Amino acid sequence: MMSCFEAQKPSLCHSDPLTAEKVRATLAVLKGILTSCYGPYGRLKQLHSGTGGSVCTTSQSTVLLRNLPVTHPILKILTASVQNHVSCFSDCGLFTAILCCNLIENVQKTELTAATTIKLNKHLLNFCTSYLRSEGCACRIPVDFSSTQTLLCLVRSILTSKPACMLTRKEVDHISALILRAFLFIIPENTEDPLILGKSIIVPLKGERVIDSALLPGVLLEMSVQLMRMLPVGKSSALKVALFSTSLSGDFSDPGEGNLVVSYGVSLEKAALDQLLDLGRQLVSDHVDLVLCQKVMHPSLKQFLGTHHIMAIDRVGVMLMEPLSKVTGAQPIGSLGPVSPSSYGSVKDWCSAKFGYKHFFHLIPKEATVCSLLLCNRNDTAWDELKLTCETALHALQLTIKEPWVLLGGGCTETHLAAYIRHMIHKEPGSIVQDDECTQAELELIADAFCRALESLAGSLEHDGGEILTDMKHGHFWSVQAGPPSVVNWPDLLSRCGCGVFSNQEGLSWSVLRSTHHPFAPEIHLPHEALGISQQSAHSLTVDCLTAKLSGLKVAVETANLILDLAYVIEDKN
Amino acid sequence: MACRVMNKRRHIGLQQLSSFAQTGRTFLGPVKSSKFIIDEECHQSVFISSTVRLLESLDMTSAVGQLLNEAVQAQNSTYRTGATTLLFLAGAWSSAVEECLHLGVPISIIVSVMSEGLNSCCEEVLSLQVPVHDIFDHMDSMEAVSEFETVSVSLCPFLQDPSGASSIQEKHNLKDMAPHLSPHNLCGRPVKSLEFFKPQANIEATENTSQALKTSLRADTCFRKSVLIHSRHLNRTATSQWLQKPDRFLELCGDTTFQTYRCHDLVELATGLSHGDASSMKLVEEAVRLQHQSACMQPGNCVVPFVFDISRLFTFCLPGLPEALSCVCPGYITLVSTSSAAVVQELQSQPIRVILIQGDLTKSYRHLGFNKSTNIKTVLDSMDLQEDSSEEVWAKHVLQLLFQFSVNLVLVEGDVSEHLAEKCRHSNRLVVGSVNGRAIQALAEATGAVQVAYITQVNEDCVGSGISVTLWKNPLDAVDRSNRMAVLLKTEGINVITAVLASPVSAQMQTKEDRFWTCAYRVYHALKEEKVFLGGSAVEFLCLSHLHILAEQPLHKGDHACLGWLHDTSSWLASSLAVYRPTVLKCLASGWHKYLSVLLYNTATYSSELEASTFIQQHLQNAIDSGCPSSYILKEYNKLNSGIFNSDISNTVEHIPRVYDVLTPKIEAWRRALDLVLLVLQTDSEIITGSGHAQIKSQKLEGFLFL
Repeated sequence: MMSCFEAQKPSLCHSDPLTAEKVRATLAVLKGILTSCYGPYGRLKQLHSGTGGSVCTTSQSTVLLRNLPVTHPILKILTASVQNHVSCFSDCGLFTAILCCNLIENVQKTELTAATTIKLNKHLLNFCTSYLRSEGCACRIPVDFSSTQTLLCLVRSILTSKPACMLTRKEVDHISALILRAFLFIIPENTEDPLILGKSIIVPLKGERVIDSALLPGVLLEMSVQLMRMLPVGKSSALKVALFSTSLSGDFSDPGEGNLVVSYGVSLEKAALDQLLDLGRQLVSDHVDLVLCQKVMHPSLKQFLGTHHIMAIDRVGVMLMEPLSKVTGAQPIGSLGPVSPSSYGSVKDWCSAKFGYKHFFHLIPKEATVCSLLLCNRNDTAWDELKLTCETALHALQLTIKEPWVLLGGGCTETHLAAYIRHMIHKEPGSIVQDDECTQAELELIADAFCRALESLAGSLEHDGGEILTDMKHGHFWSVQAGPPSVVNWPDLLSRCGCGVFSNQEGLSWSVLRSTHHPFAPEIHLPHEALGISQQSAHSLTVDCLTAKLSGLKVAVETANLILDLAYVIEDKN
Repeated sequence: MACRVMNKRRHIGLQQLSSFAQTGRTFLGPVKSSKFIIDEECHQSVFISSTVRLLESLDMTSAVGQLLNEAVQAQNSTYRTGATTLLFLAGAWSSAVEECLHLGVPISIIVSVMSEGLNSCCEEVLSLQVPVHDIFDHMDSMEAVSEFETVSVSLCPFLQDPSGASSIQEKHNLKDMAPHLSPHNLCGRPVKSLEFFKPQANIEATENTSQALKTSLRADTCFRKSVLIHSRHLNRTATSQWLQKPDRFLELCGDTTFQTYRCHDLVELATGLSHGDASSMKLVEEAVRLQHQSACMQPGNCVVPFVFDISRLFTFCLPGLPEALSCVCPGYITLVSTSSAAVVQELQSQPIRVILIQGDLTKSYRHLGFNKSTNIKTVLDSMDLQEDSSEEVWAKHVLQLLFQFSVNLVLVEGDVSEHLAEKCRHSNRLVVGSVNGRAIQALAEATGAVQVAYITQVNEDCVGSGISVTLWKNPLDAVDRSNRMAVLLKTEGINVITAVLASPVSAQMQTKEDRFWTCAYRVYHALKEEKVFLGGSAVEFLCLSHLHILAEQPLHKGDHACLGWLHDTSSWLASSLAVYRPTVLKCLASGWHKYLSVLLYNTATYSSELEASTFIQQHLQNAIDSGCPSSYILKEYNKLNSGIFNSDISNTVEHIPRVYDVLTPKIEAWRRALDLVLLVLQTDSEIITGSGHAQIKSQKLEGFLFL
C-alpha cells in the first residue's frame, strides 16, 4: 500500500482585516440587505436555492442570517452574535445587526485607536443601559397587567413590523388578541415560586383565511379521517392515558455493525409483534382508554387495542410530547417492558373537531396551562413568516413578566437616546466618563459616532424616500414627505411621532435629523397626560420589548468592539 | 451568498409575474382555447386546457414562478376552481402595480391602498349573492327536467368551443351514439359570440327562438345553440321568484327597490355553475341526485339534511370511446385483468365476503414507519431444504387464511403480488389492487369490513358482506387494449358514485376529468356555503365600478378603514395617502377592466380586446352615472327579463340557464392573486443560497452581489 503525503500549506495571516476594501464592501452589502428589511415598511427578500424548489419570502433576521452563507470571519462573528441574541430573545435581531454595522462604519471614520474607541463605547453603552433602566427614563412605559392596552400594543407592534405576514388591519387585531389570550393562558393560576409558564403550541393550517385562526385550550392531535370515523361516540368521562416515546412499530433496534444471524424458522418480526401484543394486553388489563405514541404503532397492535375499545393515536411527533405529558400528567414510556402504573396519566375530556380540511383529536385538560394556537394563512411563505412572528410576540410578552416595561418604538427611543447622550456630553461629560481616561475631543468624536449610529438606525425605518425629523423638545422621531424643505409647513404635514405618544399640536419645533444641530436637553419625563390620551384614542402606540432591546444594544456594541479589536485573521488553508 | 437587486429600473419580479400570467389568458372564461405544450428535447407533447396543468408543464424555476405556482396549487388544492382567475389577476395587477411605480407612488402606499380596495370590493360584492336553499325539496320536479335534458347534454361537444355542428347533428340521431369531434374543434379559435348585458344572446340560445329575434341570428344556428350552454351572462329569467330584498340594496339605493331571487332548484344551480361545460355538469348533477336518493333510502336518514359528500365521488375514464358513453352510476368502478373474467362471472352468483387491505398485498410489504434491518441473515440449521420459495410459502399462507374465513373478494389499496393473484384466481377468489383509499373507506362502512394493513390481521370481525361484483360493460362493449376490464362494486344504498368519463380523443381525457372535478367542486362549494354569486362577470363588473366610485370619494381624515396596511399612522405615508389613493384604486380597477375585456374577447363577440374594452367602458360610465352600480347591474337583469317576457317564449324560459359563481373560492382567488403581487412588489432582492450560489459565481452573471 502506498501512502501519499502532502506538505502542509502555510496558514494565511491578514493584518488589520477591517481596512481591506473587500471586507468593507461585503460589510456594506450585508448592512444594505439588513437595513432594507427594517421596520413595518421594510422590503422583503426572496431566499431560494437558484435551482427551483421552495422560495422563502421574509424580512426577519432569524431567517435571513440562518440562510446567508457568509464567508468572511468578520461577517461570521457578526451573524453569529446576532443569531445568538435572537435565539435568546427572539426580537430585535435586525436592530442589533444594523446598529453593529453602523457603529463599525462610524467608528472607523474617526481614526482613533481601537483601544480608545472600545473603552469609550463601553462607557457609552453603560450610560445608555443605566439610563434606560432608570426610573427617570423618558422612553419607557410601565406595563399595566390589569389592562390589555400596553400588551396589545406590544404584540401589534411586532406583528406589523413584519410585512411578509401579509396581514390586514383586521387580521392584525385578530391575531394580536389570540396571542395575548395564549399568553394569559400559559400563566398558571397559583403563582407559587418559581413561576413555571405553560406552553402554547402553534398548529399549522395553511391555505385557510387568517381570520379563521383560533385559540383552543389543550392539545390538538391531527388524525386521519379513517381514525375519526372509528372514534366512539359520546364517551366523555375522564380517560386514562398512556404516552409512549418509543416506537411501537414492531421493528427491532439497530443491531449495530456486523450481521445478525438467525436460524431458519425463527421470525424476529413475529417475536417483536408478540412483545407488542403483550404490552397491549397489559394496557387492556390496566384499563387504559387512550394510547398516544410519538412514533409509529404496528397496525396489529392498533387493531388489538381497537377491539378492546382503546383509542390509539400514533405519529404524534416529538414537539407534542412535552405538552402532552403536561396535559395528561403521563410519563413518556420509553421501553416495551412492563409499564409502571405511575406512568399513566389522565385527561378530563376529549372531542373530535374539524378545522379547514384537517381532522383533529382535541384533548381538553383539567387545568393544565397548555393551549393550541391554530394558525392560518393563505400561502406557505406568509404562514412561515407569521408563525415566527407569533413566536416572537409570545416570547416578548413572556419577557415583560420579568421586566414589566416597554420601550417606545418607531425610532423614538433611538433618537431620544441620541439626543440625551449629546446633551450629556455637552453638559456633564463626567457622568459618562472620568476626565483622566480620555480627552474631551475624543469623547465628543466617539459619542458623535455612537449617536449617529443610533440615528441612522432610526432613519433605516424609512424606505420610501421620506425625510426624518426630530423635535427639539422630546427628541422623538418624526417622518415627513421629502421635497423642498419648508420649515413653515411642517406642523401641517406631521401628525404623530413614530411611537405615537406625541401629536403635532404641542407647539414643538423640528429639525432634520441628519443635519448637525445644537445639543438640546430632551425632556426626561413622559407627560402622563400624553400617555393617557393616546391610550384612549384610536391610535395605538408602537412599543418594543425592553429586555430584548437592551440585550440587542449590548450585543451590538460588544460585537462592534470585538470586530474593531481584531488585529489579525489567521486562516488555515489545509 | 449571492444577492440580486430586483427593482433597479423596473421591477423584475412584477415583469416576470405578468409575463407568466400572459400564458394563461386564453383559459379565461367559458370559451377556452386549448394548448399543446411540446418538449423539444424528447418530442413529447401535452394537451392542456387549464391553468393548473399549464403551470405543471411550464418551467417555473425562477423564484417568482415558484411563488406563482405555489399560489395556484394552494388555490387548486383547497377549492379546485379559480386558478385561472388567480393567474390572470396576478398578471393584470402586476402590470397595474408597475404602472403605479412608474407614476412614482411609494410602494407602501400601493400595498396599503390596493389591499384596502380589494377588501372594500369583497364587502361590496356580497350584495350580489343569491341564497341557495332547499335544493333537495324539489327533487321530484327535477326528474322531469332531467329526463328532457340528459340526452342533449351528453351530446354536447366536449370542448367549450361552440362546435355546434356536431352537437345538432347528434341531437337527431341519438341512438347513433357516435359524436365526432371535428378536428377544427380541437384547435380552432372559438368564433362564438357572447354579449355583455345583452338579452339577445340568451334568447338566441333557447331553442324556440322567437321570430323577431331570429333576425339577429347568423346563418349558423347550431353555433348559437351552443352559446346557450356556456353563456356567462347577467341573465335573469322572468320566472325567478321575487322573494328577497337583500338589506344591502335597500341601504344603498334607498328609492329604487330591486328584488332578487333564491336558487332552489338543483338543475338551475348546476346549469348556472356549469360555465359552459354542460356535459360535465350534467354528470355532476346526476351524481348529486343519485347520492341524494341513496341517502333517502337509508332508514331514518331523511330527517338529517342531505349533504353532498364529494369524497364519495369517483371518476373512471374511458379514453378513445365516444363522448355519449359518459354516464354516472352508483358504486365504484375499477379495472381488473381480463383473465379474471371467469372469476367475476362466478362471483356474480355468490354471496360475497370481502376484506379490505390498506397498503400492498405482497410478501415484502411492511407498514409505514417500519425500519427493515438489512443486516439480518437467516441460516438453515439442518439440511432439509424447502422446495418452495419463501414467496410461495407466503402465498400459501394467505390463501389458507382466505379459505379459513371464506373470503372471495380482496380489495387492496396498493399493489398485489401477481403470483398471489394468480393463485387466487384458480380458487375462484378475486383480488383487486390499486383501489382508491376513499373507496375502501366507503366500502368498509357499507359492508362492515374493517380495513387492515396485513392479511394476517384478518379475523371474523374484519370480513364484510353485502357487496356485489359485476362486470361493467360499456354500451359499445369495447375492449380495452390493455387486457383489462371494468368491474362495478356496489352495495345496497351505498353513497359511492362513479362518473364514467369517455372521450374519443385520448389526449383530452385528462382535461375532461379535470373539468368534471371543477364542476363537481363548484356545486359542492355552492351547496356547502348555501349561497352563490350572480355570475356572468356581474361581481367583477361591480368591483370595477365600485373602485371607480371609491376613487372619487374624498378621504376623511382619521378614517382608519382606508389605511389598510398602513398600520402605523405616524408615518408621512399615512398623511400623503389621500394624494395617491385615487391613482392606485384606478390601477387596481384596471385589473378588473382587463379581466372583463379578455373575458369578452375570449368569448369572441368582439374582434379585438380594445373593442371589448370600449364596450365595458360604456357600461362602466353608465353604472357610475347611475350612482349605485349594484342597482345598475340588477336593472340590466331586469331588462333582460322583460325582453324575454315580451317575446312569446315564456314556456321555455325555465330552461334558460342563469349563471352563477361560487362565492368563497372566487374571493379567495382574488386575494391570493393580490397577496402574491404585493409580496413580489415588496421584495427588493433575491438571495441565492446553497449550491446555486456557486453556480452563479462561476457564471459571473451581471447584477449580483456576493458576500
